[in-house]
Amino acid sequence: MSLDLQAVATGLPALWLAQGFLTSLAVTVIGAAVAFLLGGLLLALRLTPWRAASGFATAAIEVIRNTPLLVQLLFWYFAVYRLLPDTVRSWIGQDHGFGRLPQGPSLLSAEFLVAAFGLGVFFSAYIAEELRSGLAAVPEGQAEAARALGFSPLAGLLYIRLPQALANAWQPMIGQTLNILKNSTLASGIGLAETAYQVRQIESYNAHALEAFAVGTLFYLASGFGLARVLARLAPRNPGGGR
Amino acid sequence: MTETPLPASPAASPLIRLAGVTKRFGDADVLTDISLEIAASETVVICGPSGSGKSTLIRLINQLEEQTSGEISLDGRALASLSSEGLRALRGDVGFVFQQFNLFAHLTARRNITLPLTTVHGWSQADADARATELLTSVGLPDRADHYPDQLSGGQQQRVAIARALASRPRILLLDEPTSALDPEVIGEVLAVIAALARDGVTLIIVTHEMGFARRVANRMVFMDAGRILEIAPPEVFFTATVHPRARLFLDRVLSPLHGATDE
Repeated sequence: MSLDLQAVATGLPALWLAQGFLTSLAVTVIGAAVAFLLGGLLLALRLTPWRAASGFATAAIEVIRNTPLLVQLLFWYFAVYRLLPDTVRSWIGQDHGFGRLPQGPSLLSAEFLVAAFGLGVFFSAYIAEELRSGLAAVPEGQAEAARALGFSPLAGLLYIRLPQALANAWQPMIGQTLNILKNSTLASGIGLAETAYQVRQIESYNAHALEAFAVGTLFYLASGFGLARVLARLAPRNPGGGR
Repeated sequence: MTETPLPASPAASPLIRLAGVTKRFGDADVLTDISLEIAASETVVICGPSGSGKSTLIRLINQLEEQTSGEISLDGRALASLSSEGLRALRGDVGFVFQQFNLFAHLTARRNITLPLTTVHGWSQADADARATELLTSVGLPDRADHYPDQLSGGQQQRVAIARALASRPRILLLDEPTSALDPEVIGEVLAVIAALARDGVTLIIVTHEMGFARRVANRMVFMDAGRILEIAPPEVFFTATVHPRARLFLDRVLSPLHGATDE
């Protein structure tokens, strides 16, 4: 048995793989942005003194973390997306001349939007929990010093505790970002033409499954490694972890 | 300094006045019927065994804790249930130094000093920076401004913490066992900074076990046990003619620990 890389490096398979890679990266980046925004929002709700708001956030986190991602993606795609008004859905389906990746895949498609949103919602629950444990790891003396210096509880949170929580949670949040990349393969289940989807398409097109899977795997390995390195470089100074 | 011991009332109009203050945590009486008046520019050292309520007492003065009953006033104004604006003003006027320093771990020495000034007290960044430089120089650390707390020794961290507590020009500084977490060798550098503040006329209330230091800088000694003030006396009286037997026992044990142990 030998690898025939020509079978995936030329012609349609090469184009499909390029489209798949770009789609995977795009859905990861946008999904991560949604996850961090919603994760911050969930954390903010959990920290409010209002029982209804913190109760809602707690319940949402439990529901999100205890149901499968694929089921959630199917739910957003087949149930919720269909509830959008026709005008919105037909606008999304049209070609607008913008919102396209270099090799052709559109960001303005039901599959892409639902995948990015669904991944973002799923991982926002984990991001919120990572931030919350990062906050819990900030020593009590930090908040006390802030109070003694006249900071209000909110100012103490924003200027003193949250920056340290972010530093504490940075490594686990890199892990969650990699999880978004890897779990974006599940979006093939709603028809998003990302890497795993294209690999299967090549397999049925020319039966070079091994080559296609090898290249696809290398893509995840390389992009995961690169993403982790870039994010690690952006890490805030972590007082707990030295320098 | 006065030669006559005037236990509870050193001046006609005290800066700080505690009258019949009690503090309970759940079922535990931590402080019972505390009355104490402190004049401007006075240095008061509070001593006593662990768990006697010393820390709780000074934490009440800047309202890190609220008393259960009794009255605490600053300049004749009662401190109970201050508005958030009132609390902010109080904490600008009453600095606090912690045993464990509690420098903000994610900020440099300079930013530890400037952040409260700019965010809490509305100073401009330039004014705050100038103040930080001035304070770091006065505590002997002008070259450590850009170091993070974990790059500083314990003694250096505590000196930065004192500088930070002084940044808003408080009239009163509360120090809660400021040298208890330090290596013996660096205790002196921190005590020197505190002694200089006493000379500069900052009102100091210090909880400490450094009896030699207390004897030199204190105007009055306050001895506490089990949540009560048992004795208030100028150091020359306190260290030579202690009245209360519990205070005498405490001093015997602190000043000559081996002597106390062989007695029993």
